[in-house]
Amino acid sequence: MRERFRPQREWAEGRGLLLIFAHFLTGAGAGAWIFSLLFGFTPGLVAGFFLVVFGALAHFFFLGRPERFWRMLTGFGSSWISRGLAGMSLFMAAAFVYLLLWFFAARQTSLEQIFFALSLLGALWVVVYKGFVWASSKGIPLWNTPLVPALYISYALRGGAAVLMVLGSLGAQHAALGPLEPLKLWLAVSTAVLVLIYLEVMRGSGMTALRSVDLMLFGRVALPFYLGAVLVGLVIPIAIGGLAYARTVPPELLGLLGLLSLLGDLSIIYCIAKAGLYRPLPA
Amino acid sequence: MRYGMVIDLKRCIGCTGCSVVCKAENATPPGVLWLRVIKHESGKYPQVRRISIPLQCMHCAEPPCLEVCPTGATFQHPNGIVDIDADKCVGCRYCMMACPYDQRFFNAEMRYYFQEHPTPFEQVGYQRHQEGVVSKCNFCLPRLEKGLEPACVANCMTKARTFGDLDNPLSEISKLVRDRGGYQLYPELGTNPSIYYLPA
Amino acid sequence: MAANLAQEDRWIPTTCGVCYSVCALQVHRVNGTVVKIEGNPDSATNRGRLCPRGVSGIMTLYDPNRVNVPLKRTNPEKGLNTDPGWVQITWEEALDTIAARLSKIRREDPRKLLLTGTVTTQDEVPFAKIFAMTFGTPNGWNSGAGNHCGTAEHLFGALLHASWSKLPDPDHCRYLLNFGTGTGSGSYYCVTGMAQRIAEARVRGMKHVAIDPFLGPGAEKADEWIPIRPGTDGAFALAMLNVLLNELSIYDGDYLKHHTNAPYLIGDDGLYIRDAKQQLPLIWDPVDAGEKPFSDPTIKDFALEGEYRVNGLRARPAFTILREHLKPFTPEWAEPITTVPAATIRRIANEFGQEARIGSTIVLEGKVLPYRPVAVMYFKGAQGHKNALLSSMALELLTEVVGASNVPGGLLGMNSCSLGYPETGQLKWTPKADRDGLMVTGRWPNPSPPYPPREVKGAETIDLRGMIPTCPGSSGALPVVMADPERFKVPYKIEMNLHVGSNYVMTFANPKAIEEAFRNVFQVSFALFLDESTYLSDIVLPAASYLERLSHTADWISSNSPVGEWCYHVRQPVVGQIAERRSACDVLLELVERLGMREEFYNFVNLMLEVKAPYTLETDSRYSWEEIVDRRYKSLFGAERGLEWFKEHGLVKWPKKAEEVYWKPFSHTRVPLYFEWFKPLGEKVRAMSEKLGIELDTSAFQPLPEWRPCLSYKENSRDHSLYAIYYKIPMQTFSGTYNNPWLDEVSKIDRFAYGVAINTETARQRGIREGDWIEIKSSPTGNTIRGQAALTEGIHPEVVAIAGCGGHWSKYLSVANQDGKGLCFEWLMPVGLDNVDIPSLTQDQCVRVTVSKARAQP
Repeated sequence: MRERFRPQREWAEGRGLLLIFAHFLTGAGAGAWIFSLLFGFTPGLVAGFFLVVFGALAHFFFLGRPERFWRMLTGFGSSWISRGLAGMSLFMAAAFVYLLLWFFAARQTSLEQIFFALSLLGALWVVVYKGFVWASSKGIPLWNTPLVPALYISYALRGGAAVLMVLGSLGAQHAALGPLEPLKLWLAVSTAVLVLIYLEVMRGSGMTALRSVDLMLFGRVALPFYLGAVLVGLVIPIAIGGLAYARTVPPELLGLLGLLSLLGDLSIIYCIAKAGLYRPLPA
Repeated sequence: MRYGMVIDLKRCIGCTGCSVVCKAENATPPGVLWLRVIKHESGKYPQVRRISIPLQCMHCAEPPCLEVCPTGATFQHPNGIVDIDADKCVGCRYCMMACPYDQRFFNAEMRYYFQEHPTPFEQVGYQRHQEGVVSKCNFCLPRLEKGLEPACVANCMTKARTFGDLDNPLSEISKLVRDRGGYQLYPELGTNPSIYYLPA
Repeated sequence: MAANLAQEDRWIPTTCGVCYSVCALQVHRVNGTVVKIEGNPDSATNRGRLCPRGVSGIMTLYDPNRVNVPLKRTNPEKGLNTDPGWVQITWEEALDTIAARLSKIRREDPRKLLLTGTVTTQDEVPFAKIFAMTFGTPNGWNSGAGNHCGTAEHLFGALLHASWSKLPDPDHCRYLLNFGTGTGSGSYYCVTGMAQRIAEARVRGMKHVAIDPFLGPGAEKADEWIPIRPGTDGAFALAMLNVLLNELSIYDGDYLKHHTNAPYLIGDDGLYIRDAKQQLPLIWDPVDAGEKPFSDPTIKDFALEGEYRVNGLRARPAFTILREHLKPFTPEWAEPITTVPAATIRRIANEFGQEARIGSTIVLEGKVLPYRPVAVMYFKGAQGHKNALLSSMALELLTEVVGASNVPGGLLGMNSCSLGYPETGQLKWTPKADRDGLMVTGRWPNPSPPYPPREVKGAETIDLRGMIPTCPGSSGALPVVMADPERFKVPYKIEMNLHVGSNYVMTFANPKAIEEAFRNVFQVSFALFLDESTYLSDIVLPAASYLERLSHTADWISSNSPVGEWCYHVRQPVVGQIAERRSACDVLLELVERLGMREEFYNFVNLMLEVKAPYTLETDSRYSWEEIVDRRYKSLFGAERGLEWFKEHGLVKWPKKAEEVYWKPFSHTRVPLYFEWFKPLGEKVRAMSEKLGIELDTSAFQPLPEWRPCLSYKENSRDHSLYAIYYKIPMQTFSGTYNNPWLDEVSKIDRFAYGVAINTETARQRGIREGDWIEIKSSPTGNTIRGQAALTEGIHPEVVAIAGCGGHWSKYLSVANQDGKGLCFEWLMPVGLDNVDIPSLTQDQCVRVTVSKARAQP
């Protein structure tokens, strides 16, 4: 108990890393699904679906008593994790059926349209709910702000687009990948701006949040923050994206852009988790 | 009827007797310490003050942990005590992020204090605990049901702890809060803890 | 919830044994397993509550590291880190070996047997002392005499309070001047009882001023903390005395005249002037203008001041000499020594003097008594120095000059006077006056109290106690003499150590020096654990812990609080015998038989345990330990209150009377303000030492206090070295609790408990940050210990403070021997005669160290 500001440990250390991965995977996966659904991009659909499934498994194995997971629906009335589970379950069921229809059935049937809507709803739900889980944590001032859901939504969408870029670089051809580039750049820039706003607001949100931000900027979370979240996750992708906007770049470079921004996505979740501090006691 | 506790920091000597008796009464496993004592120092040499502050679940009237629990394992009794039904807990630790006082504890792996040598005490006591779930102070509900005070209250060497009904303005603890200026920790968060401290 | 059909669900009254407060317990046993330990609400001492150590006893009871069978060493090499190669043997073989050795020693010279005991449990060791007495050895010690106990403090307990120790009156004290003790904060005597009582006093408004190098558990609860350089408390007290007597003229003249030897006339030779006929000390009656023996019934008043002539010799009252003597000790003089500002010393003296309310009275139980609501407390820290005698003297005189000794509000002896158990009149003792009018204590835990002083015997004991009768109990010189008996002309060597429950290797001073002194001794240990001291044992016997054995623990020293009620509790086993563990009392009885000592032993038992007719032990019968306890109880408390009664009821208690608690006004005894007999005693000791050819510095045998710096004291030190001190924390007792995992768990979250407290600025200058591993190297011993720095503003910049006695290295202590579990302060303390206060044989406890950041930071 040497530190006045004790860090939270359960959602960052040991098995807590599973949770970080879980949030990253489900976010990127759901984002990928949304874009793939809108562009009709098959590899993206498959990738999105499985990313969310792996993310769900990571959530599952993070639990202390995973065999009781079904109980987690009962708290729907007040708990964002309950709501998240509901949405994730809706998504996985609807997306699974949609994929079956997509591969084995005729196009544009009404059934397909229903599951298009349901899976889109599920995916949007997954993208949106995550941030609210963190934001409703009254114990950790760094998370306890509406900026966190905004940030996570932004990252999820960006992550989804990044997945598509990676798939594109692996040879998947699709006309839709064209407009993806400026979209991706816009998402990256807006995410970067949101990060800046978030940090600035948090610095002015009391002693504990300030201390958390200082950990990211100058303290023990600085390395993953600058290296992972900033350099790999924002600066390089924006640079490549800017370049791609000016002239044509090989798809491999775009794939790299995607991969790096996904790493950045993972990094920022990790940093925000790791920098999470409880208020000092006594006050 | 709303159970509450007053801790007199003038009396408290930071001996950790409450911390250990809680462990003895509830047979909590290693790493799970429902009650702990911290010290807070202020001032510069030689005008220095150091006080001891016992911490445990605050049994808030508006418990943030309750809202976030996905399974309803965390619930509140009519008498105000916030409790956990261990059978329902999935160990997501969301409640631990919600508690501003950081007074919930996750039992990641059931261990014994002497590694491979479980003591008879632990063999009996750990039957009351589960692995992979969160636990915390429950104001010694089983003792209350027998008409006893919580173990920490009954054992405190300096009688720093008083237990009673916050809803009753004539109860001893209500009077102490009024007369000695009892205060809660982080009242601005709106949790309305049922533990009040009297100034040192 | 569980479907446990409790076939058995019992609460058993017994007594704790983790520390010497021996609080009363109620232990909950369900189906044979102990599930809870609580304080016995009936007990007047701890009143239903317990400290963390008492509660944690379950984990010591069931600790798998416990010794369960008798063991014998197979490795002939002995060393602190040399594994003894234990093999299991039978009790029969163990006792055969032990009895054979004891027989041989008794035939040759019984003094070759040493008894080493613990102070905590208060039952086995006193019984072992009776064994030692019967055996014929005067040699015994408790190892806490090194770093953990008071020695000079107990001497003055006997001389001034007729008790082993003292406490402030928690009911009426208004101003507690606390030189470094933890009373009310989890240490010192009657821990749990006083914690409660001092808390009540605090809430009542008693002002607590703590003078302490470190803002430790005691000082944390004070209203004012005055940091002081270690070892200089005596100087502070001298300055205060000077201010009181010479600047403010605040002193209780009435008290001094009637209850001290302040009016006794002293000649220029420093001794009493006695009348020719009866050789009684004389006083000067200013009304009749003549000298009279102090007890003369015609005395109209006692002169405290002035200079007179008796038989042509200059005669001055002792008080006058004291006043004169104190003049140089001004607060300005004390300031550079103590680092306490002169203005502060003066202010405290003034507050103390005012608050003493000299002349005021209070009515208690219908009796009008003097009311002096101030008390001066000090213990190990303030007196554990080379200047022990003289510093303690100064501290004690503060209480005496304002008349706050054993009166309402003041300092109360624990427990000076008992009128006895109402139904039998037993357990009665009261201070008495000797021929010189000076007080002789009514009861003492060792064979002879320090006053009147025994004859100075040369080279009789292995610890200089035979030569120095003012050592009240254990001697800090024991390891010095043991290591080199020839140097001290002791005609024998210790060949066997009967070792009961103490971890002396760790708790006295430099373990290396202890190892040297004890290595060639055949050691038989009653041990709960294979601790560091058992690395020097030849046979280890599995000890039954305090929860596993029976005894009477009728303890008047440590558990009976000074006020309230007398209370005596039984100790009974709460579980059946575990493995082959046995109580030492049981085993000693068997050894008595094997050695054929029964008759003499029973005679001593009857005497020491106060067994009276018709229960006296008769030689032609053989009694079990249970029977002896039963007979003692019946002797003390009557035929209906034998062992069976105590097993059921747990304790007996009865109210204390005002004249027991505040006995001074009812007593005709006088206590010394001027320690006249110290001088001739010092002469005798010097003469004896010269005769034997031993060099002994007896210069501290002085009748009045003065300032002598201890060895570590250096003014304006330029070598950047610091003082290291030790202090007690409520979570641990000496070294014996470090394997308890519950206490370990709460110690881990307190950065001071396992760490080293260091001043923030001092740390900064050495590049040390919070949590850094630092090395503390002792200048006198050269040993280095390491721990994590706990930076604090609450410590004197010249000091580092270490809590408790951790740093265990025995490989048989699975919890305690890991890295980061505290430090063993004793590595820093040198063993040697230079480090001992000769008149009291107190061990010096503060040391010079260099502190630096450890190169390897894990």
